[in-house]
Amino acid sequence: MNILIPHQWLLEHLETKATPEQIQKYLSLCGPSIERIYDKEGESVYDIEITTNRVDSMSVRGVAREAAAILPQFGIGAKLTVETRLIASLHDNAKSRPLPQIINNPKLCRRLSCVILQNVHQNPTPNWMANRLKQIDANIHDASIDITNYITHELGHPCHAFDYDKLMKTGGVINIVEAKKGEQFQTLDGESFVTVGGEVVFKNKQGEIIDLPSIKGTANTSVDAHTKNILLLLESITAEKVRFASMTHAIRTTAAQLMEKNVDPHLITPTIHFGIKLYQDLCGAQVASEIYDDFPESNKPAPIKLDLTKIKNYLGVDIEVEKITAILEALECKVLVNKVKKQSVYRLIVTPPSFRPDLKIPVDVIEEIARIYGYHNLPSQIMDGPIPLQKPENSNFELENKAKHFLAAIGYQEIYSYSMVSAVLAQEAGYKLAEHLKIQNPLTDDRVYLRRSLIPSLQEVFTQNPLEKTLSVFEIASTYLPAGEAGCLHKKELPQQPLLLTLVSNKNYREFKGDFMALLDQLFIKNWDINKYVKILDNNCYALEIEWAEILKRAKTHPNYQPLPKTNSIVEDLTFTLNPQVKVGELMAAISRVSQLITRVELKDIYGQNYTFTLEYIDPNGNLSAKQLLPIRQKVVKMVEEKFRSELVGRI
Amino acid sequence: MTLEKLKSAIDKIKQQLTSDRASDLRNKYLGKKGLFNQLAQEIKNVDVKDKKEAGRLLNQLKSQLEIKITDQPINRSTDQQIDLTIPGLKPAIGHLHPVSQAMEEITNIFGKIGFTRVRYPEVDWDHYVFESLNMPKNHPARDEWETFFIDLPENKDMGKVVLTTHTSNGQVREMERLKSQPPIRMINIARCYRRQQDVTHTQMFHQFEGLVIDKNINITHLKGTLDYFAREFYGPGTKSRIRPFHFQFTEPSFEVDFSCHNCHGTGKIHGAKCRFCKSGWHEVGGAGMVHPNVLRAGGIDSEQYTGFAFGWGIERTYSLKPGLNLDDIRLLYSNDLRFLKQF
Repeated sequence: MNILIPHQWLLEHLETKATPEQIQKYLSLCGPSIERIYDKEGESVYDIEITTNRVDSMSVRGVAREAAAILPQFGIGAKLTVETRLIASLHDNAKSRPLPQIINNPKLCRRLSCVILQNVHQNPTPNWMANRLKQIDANIHDASIDITNYITHELGHPCHAFDYDKLMKTGGVINIVEAKKGEQFQTLDGESFVTVGGEVVFKNKQGEIIDLPSIKGTANTSVDAHTKNILLLLESITAEKVRFASMTHAIRTTAAQLMEKNVDPHLITPTIHFGIKLYQDLCGAQVASEIYDDFPESNKPAPIKLDLTKIKNYLGVDIEVEKITAILEALECKVLVNKVKKQSVYRLIVTPPSFRPDLKIPVDVIEEIARIYGYHNLPSQIMDGPIPLQKPENSNFELENKAKHFLAAIGYQEIYSYSMVSAVLAQEAGYKLAEHLKIQNPLTDDRVYLRRSLIPSLQEVFTQNPLEKTLSVFEIASTYLPAGEAGCLHKKELPQQPLLLTLVSNKNYREFKGDFMALLDQLFIKNWDINKYVKILDNNCYALEIEWAEILKRAKTHPNYQPLPKTNSIVEDLTFTLNPQVKVGELMAAISRVSQLITRVELKDIYGQNYTFTLEYIDPNGNLSAKQLLPIRQKVVKMVEEKFRSELVGRI
Repeated sequence: MTLEKLKSAIDKIKQQLTSDRASDLRNKYLGKKGLFNQLAQEIKNVDVKDKKEAGRLLNQLKSQLEIKITDQPINRSTDQQIDLTIPGLKPAIGHLHPVSQAMEEITNIFGKIGFTRVRYPEVDWDHYVFESLNMPKNHPARDEWETFFIDLPENKDMGKVVLTTHTSNGQVREMERLKSQPPIRMINIARCYRRQQDVTHTQMFHQFEGLVIDKNINITHLKGTLDYFAREFYGPGTKSRIRPFHFQFTEPSFEVDFSCHNCHGTGKIHGAKCRFCKSGWHEVGGAGMVHPNVLRAGGIDSEQYTGFAFGWGIERTYSLKPGLNLDDIRLLYSNDLRFLKQF
């Protein structure tokens, strides 16, 4: 969450001579990150990122408190101002009007406080306040409404102004309960909702919802143009409950985003006082009741035990115990230092302030010490110690890189395409939609199904690049199988996610296949019939898709060396006129099988139906003579004639 | 060697020459180590009675070769005046995708200091992506991970099936792979998915995650590792810094910045504001000391062991390379060959 804080507003809570640039630099190093400084209405305005665990910093005072702890570390004086101006004078007309009857459930609401303000004039918001609200990008209404936004921003606890008279007319009861399923309510901006059950709501005597506390007011009790008297109310609904209702109904107000993160209920006291004071000053209001306060249990953060050795364990350096204590005290923690008996070990007992419920375990405290001490003050060194040697099975990234580099070197462009595809693309792969994993909450229509093949995605590359006359592409990526019948409901098995290597090219088939065969040579893979992995695509392309695991289990880092022949080979070409039915691959395999002396059969040339093959003969036991060769050659020709009905060109 | 064999060898050389297209025939046939000299040496193996005849045959061959080679029409490029300014003819080559190039470089950098690269599922249990990382269901911290859910029933122990929003799902998985026995030095690089799309975000992107767990691992080691990476990946002089942040699965948590290569971390060039960075530094990602609850989820005793983890987007990290000037990461997944061919 980001918060905008004008410099002068900050200085109302912080006594310092630091410049905006210094504040930006040093807070960013040790505390909340000040991402930018804007110039708004002639003043520096900080844009500050507050992390979700630090809701205590989501206010002007919260940031001032951080600055007061951090700036002195850099030799710059800084002090948090005392809160005197936040105590309202309550002597005017106390108790002249009755408070509503409040029925609380401490499990749902940790604290509730309210006060009646009467004769509220709906004056225009004064310039000084309007300017600040503009600086923080808030809308300007009139003073009676803007006050609530202003104090929330300044102190960090949301508050709500009820129309007191409307509230009393509905029965004068605030009953804090969980909603049942199917109850209706209308927020103050007129939008209607139906409860799902479990939302914490305020109900009146008749059981109608009269507020969605800590999130948004409802139309039936909120301030309008005719409001005269206000019930200013602050409550601490359990954070999880606020989040549940806010997320369920997608009502993400500032109040909800604060309250779901555990705002300190102790903040209610200064906030209600500040609110009263502003209503008195800006709207001429008078206090018409006591300040009601129901705070059954003030559960302050528990003390945390922390050994000094553990601090060193995390920081890698020794920090004096006095320095540590000073840092923690600057953050308003209470620190007790004990020396553990008979050992020279110090143990700290740290009690965090009520606004720091995020400090729960020793490492939380260590983080506070380390950041204020300054991460930039810690040395930088690579760890020594043993290097783990146990590599994962079923992965070989070196081999993947080797394959990628080789394919790129022979002209293939690597592509990274999306794993999620449209319904059309999913089906193009030859699977039904139901045979895919589907995203429940897709962002766009073209990314809904998890793909089972990379081919359709790679085919798209061809249509996307019409100017590329010859194009060859590849990708190595995971695909995703559906979960199967039993699915993952009972078994703890995830859907399978095989990694595929896919090549698509508009080269002619022999070249395309040759490229892949060359890759297999690089990986020392021999005798693997890959024809079944080839697909002929309708855009004049060929594709080859193969599970990487299949390659991985066959690949080698080095060949099996074959001893060099001690005898000479004879190489000769034979040309056959092939019967059109003949499969060349089968023919060549058959020729190889004719004799063990045939060590190589290659297709050399094609002319019409005439196919020229180069044959190499080697006899390891002695040089072959022409005489010895003749019967083998005859056998080859005879076999081709009989089995493949194809004639030799010429005579032997 | 018999006379018979010599004759056949001579014929072979003659035959070879008739169809030879080699650029330097003279050297190949008549040079010091040429085919003729190689054959001529064989004369010592010829039977004494045949030596005379063998010499005659070889002499004949030599003069024939002389004539033939000299007679070759002078159209070989070697004999021509070459125009050195003529453009070279490049072979058609492809390119590794820039993300692959970055991954390989990152893997190598961390490999040198003992990190093992791993790969874990991209469609994974909520348990590994969130729950075991100290992020219970409905926790506000989950909001920052705009999660895609898979349309499958929930498993009662492992939760929903999701698309991994970060590579941190590898943390507890790696602890489990190593049977909860440190030392661990992992680098996990994978596709990640989040429900967001703009100039700096694509629904699919890549992250790399480092995880180190051992005895006595502390923040200084994280700083050392980050500084080392910055130097190796961006070049000498690049520094890293860590600033406070919050993640549920690390404590303390940091945001990681690298110094701008343009202004070297000062934010100013000749007194003017640097155009390439926010005040001297580039944010690249998150890091932290592994939260005791995460160690516990991976079966590791957090009193005995500590660790650090970091995780960044590959695209962002890569786009900050000096002089690359890549400002729209959507281009990486556009499949536009005009873009990809530049890498």
